Amino acid sequence: MTLISVASRAAFAGGLLLAGTCLSAAEDLTIWTLNFSSEASNDAFTKIAADFEAANPGVKVNVVTRGVDDHKTAIRVAAGTDKGPDIYFMWAGLGLGGEYVKAGLSLPLDKYYAEYKWDDELVPAAASFSRIYEGGRHGVPFTFKGEALYYNKALFEKAGIAGTPANYDELVADAEKLKAAGIPAITFGGTVNWHVMRLMDVILEAKCGADTHDALMNMKVDWTKEACAADSFAELDKWAKNYILSPFMGIDQAQSFNLFVAGRAAMMLEGDWLVQQLAEVVDLNGYDLFLFPTGTNRLYGFAEYNYVSTKSKNPDLAAKFLDYFNSTDVQQSVLGAFSTTSINKHVAYDNQRPLEKKWLDIFNTYDKVYMNGDQAFPLDVTTEYFRVINEVASGNMTPVDAAAAMQTFIGNKS
Amino acid sequence: MAARAIGSNMRIQALLLLGPALVIYVVFAVFPMLDVIWLSFFKWNGLDPVKVYVGASNYVDVFTKDPVFWVAFRNTMIWTALSVVIPPMIGLGLALGLNQPIFGRNTLRAIYYLPVIIAPIAVATMWRWMYDPFFGLFGQILTSLGLQSWVMDWLGNRDIALYSAFGAYVWQSVGFSMVLFLAGLQGVNRSLVEAARIDGAGRWSIFRYVTLPALRTTLTIVLVLAIINSLKAFDIVYGLTGGGPAQSTQMLALWAFTQSMQIFDFGRGSAISVVLLGVTLAVVIPYMRWTQKREETTE
Amino acid sequence: MTSANLAAVQADAGRPPRDWVLIGLWLSLIVVAAIWIAPFVFIVFTSLKSTGQVMTTSAFAPPADPQFSNYASAWARGRFDTTFVNSVVITAIKVPLGLMISAMAAYALAKIPMRFGRLTLVLILFGTMIPFQVMLAPIFTLVNGFGLIDTYPGVILPYLAFGIPYQVFILHGFFRAIPHELSEAARIDGASHFTTFRRVFLPVSLPVLAALFILDFVATWNEFAMALVLLQDREMWTLPLGLSAFQGQFSRDYGQLNAAIVMTVLPATLVYLIFQRYFVSGLTSGAVKG
Repeated sequence: MTLISVASRAAFAGGLLLAGTCLSAAEDLTIWTLNFSSEASNDAFTKIAADFEAANPGVKVNVVTRGVDDHKTAIRVAAGTDKGPDIYFMWAGLGLGGEYVKAGLSLPLDKYYAEYKWDDELVPAAASFSRIYEGGRHGVPFTFKGEALYYNKALFEKAGIAGTPANYDELVADAEKLKAAGIPAITFGGTVNWHVMRLMDVILEAKCGADTHDALMNMKVDWTKEACAADSFAELDKWAKNYILSPFMGIDQAQSFNLFVAGRAAMMLEGDWLVQQLAEVVDLNGYDLFLFPTGTNRLYGFAEYNYVSTKSKNPDLAAKFLDYFNSTDVQQSVLGAFSTTSINKHVAYDNQRPLEKKWLDIFNTYDKVYMNGDQAFPLDVTTEYFRVINEVASGNMTPVDAAAAMQTFIGNKS
Repeated sequence: MAARAIGSNMRIQALLLLGPALVIYVVFAVFPMLDVIWLSFFKWNGLDPVKVYVGASNYVDVFTKDPVFWVAFRNTMIWTALSVVIPPMIGLGLALGLNQPIFGRNTLRAIYYLPVIIAPIAVATMWRWMYDPFFGLFGQILTSLGLQSWVMDWLGNRDIALYSAFGAYVWQSVGFSMVLFLAGLQGVNRSLVEAARIDGAGRWSIFRYVTLPALRTTLTIVLVLAIINSLKAFDIVYGLTGGGPAQSTQMLALWAFTQSMQIFDFGRGSAISVVLLGVTLAVVIPYMRWTQKREETTE
Repeated sequence: MTSANLAAVQADAGRPPRDWVLIGLWLSLIVVAAIWIAPFVFIVFTSLKSTGQVMTTSAFAPPADPQFSNYASAWARGRFDTTFVNSVVITAIKVPLGLMISAMAAYALAKIPMRFGRLTLVLILFGTMIPFQVMLAPIFTLVNGFGLIDTYPGVILPYLAFGIPYQVFILHGFFRAIPHELSEAARIDGASHFTTFRRVFLPVSLPVLAALFILDFVATWNEFAMALVLLQDREMWTLPLGLSAFQGQFSRDYGQLNAAIVMTVLPATLVYLIFQRYFVSGLTSGAVKG
């Protein structure tokens, strides 16, 4: 035991004493979530908590908000003690969310999914993440984001492309047509590692198929033995050399967005949030979107979840709050505050833009999802995944070496 | 008896004067330094209640299994070597120039020194924008000179990204060396310079045989400070490239931070810190012994 | 021979009429100065342009229609009101407090004979050489152990710890150079060390203290790495953290990004321009002569 841990234990003991003195007889519910960058989100959260208190006399809801990094760190710190929240926010996926599940911090919620019939309420794709963990269903959706290819209609027309590609090969053929017309097919910002990563994620899905892709991301199969891994890196290399607006390694995602709206590239691989961003600067009629054609019938996306902590003294109340939070009425009243679409499928939308309508249809169609690599991998593997992708994208590593580097790193972990 | 009372009174006074600084320094500077060494022998992710003792395996992992460590090590060495040579050389040149009776020297000195007082993270933000391959300053200047083909992905091309980042560092740090040299030049004996000039010595000879020897002490200080500051290179690289592309501009200090505070592998991050600490000590201890000797001889 | 004659003539004339080497030197210094100042001009110009103008006009074209609104928007979006106040509070507490305790310690080490005085001095001076960047993680766990993450004391205490070595180093050298007679006179009059320190040493060391004050102001105002680790709540962020986050979030608004840079850099620049002379004397008083 280090001096630090002695000191921290003493500090925590002090903190507990303080906490003990202000414990009231009423039921307390503590929620740790993000300090959202949009004030509308923060206000909506506070309002829901207040309404829940009003509907349940004697219940006191504490909402503690923090910045992203602080939030992650705070949960880590709390995990080693008896303190901590009843409900905590975290991304879904074996990487970020899974680490806390593995550490025994998340309570399986199968009982509550059955009791409250949440599956009848939730958008299937959003709820699908609760099933990816071992030992039961964990967490309930807070928001869900899908990602697809947005394209500039005029540029597609100029390159003589009619209709959207039905499979990966057709997409590459379209990219080739764009190239022939002197138009860079797609734009990415390389300094934020997760942007180019999206291209690698969708190529892996297209080349490996759903099962192998999942097995690769779960590190259950050998990256060097599955030929599709190296093939996918080879495809990434091809895109980087021929189709991505260059240079891209020295700019970030926001700059690539500027280049996209300036008509410097034909496509962008982005989430449903882009509709709003585009609407602020361009005429949406010039743009449309289609899912990256992978042929696996799965949607590319990720989710943010609320998890119930195993340390919670009152998990029933926590579940009740989450049920209230995701109920149709509440979700209808705060529509648009957290995300453009709700995770509740009964919520009604009006005045939707065509692209938003399209997203809604997509969300209601797909019940299977493959997620972003940085949500799927543990943090250290994510860092290596970023590095390998960037090495390939900057032409510095052969596809075969890239697959080998991934496997070496994964192998060294155990 | 009175003498004894004075003695103990004196000790209390000394303790009261020295105490606050010493306590804060020991708790918040010395202790973390020892703790980083201690932590480097443990496996800890910040989540588990117990830290597991793993012997030297963090070091073994860092040296043999970490694909980035040696890149970071090499970059730190390159960066240090460059910062020992380039900013001090430019700084010396500017100082020699400003030491002449020329028009506007105070203004010029103020301009050269200005970047030193700007936050390194702001320097990084400025330069990142200037390096923008589409709308940045360098791209535009080269394009207007008809040198489009010279426009590069300054921060995205792994072959030049480190040197692009170093460019920003030079801009920021030259003024610092310059001021130290200017101060050192005040110590050059003017009558000696005059005498040499009357004896027919040229500018170069005067510099070589009069000025330079007088600057020996300053030179050593500038170089040691350059080494120490460059080993700390963190803010500028963090802000400009974040270690990218593909970790090709990673540095030891930043990589230790990434391992500990972003990947939450405290053991491995600490092991990297200890390596950096070792490198620093290898430079610093000879210097401290040298200054001590010098002090003893002058006393 | 001729050059010697020429030199002699020049020496007689006092000042040479036209020294081509000096003129060449002066010109090259001007060129370097132009290069040195160009980034500032570029940043200020860009900060006054709209995104459209940035994309279409040349880098050194002055903004035709200055967008002062960039500053207002960047101020609001970058939460400059919060970060500015945090920076001011932290700097205003840390700098005077740090100087105070460093001066006290330096006095004790320089003027009071102690058994482990020399060892203590070496231990403290050792700190000037150690990059605190290697200890970010243990500093974090330590401060977290005290429950001080996201608090002013949580960042001020480590700042103090890493400011002490350099300040003690410089002040110790300065105090030791003060003649014994000065302090002994006061001591014989029966003054305690506290009184001697306050009445005799503080007044004579005011110029050095002023220089250290300004140097430390800039260092504290600009500090990034430690703040990044210790201040995670954005309500507690300082200006450098705010700028870094602004770049991450709003980098596509070029004008506003550059306005944010200008606003972050301006306070330190003003302080520098006002107290210029102290910067130079402060750097040189300790590092070169000590």
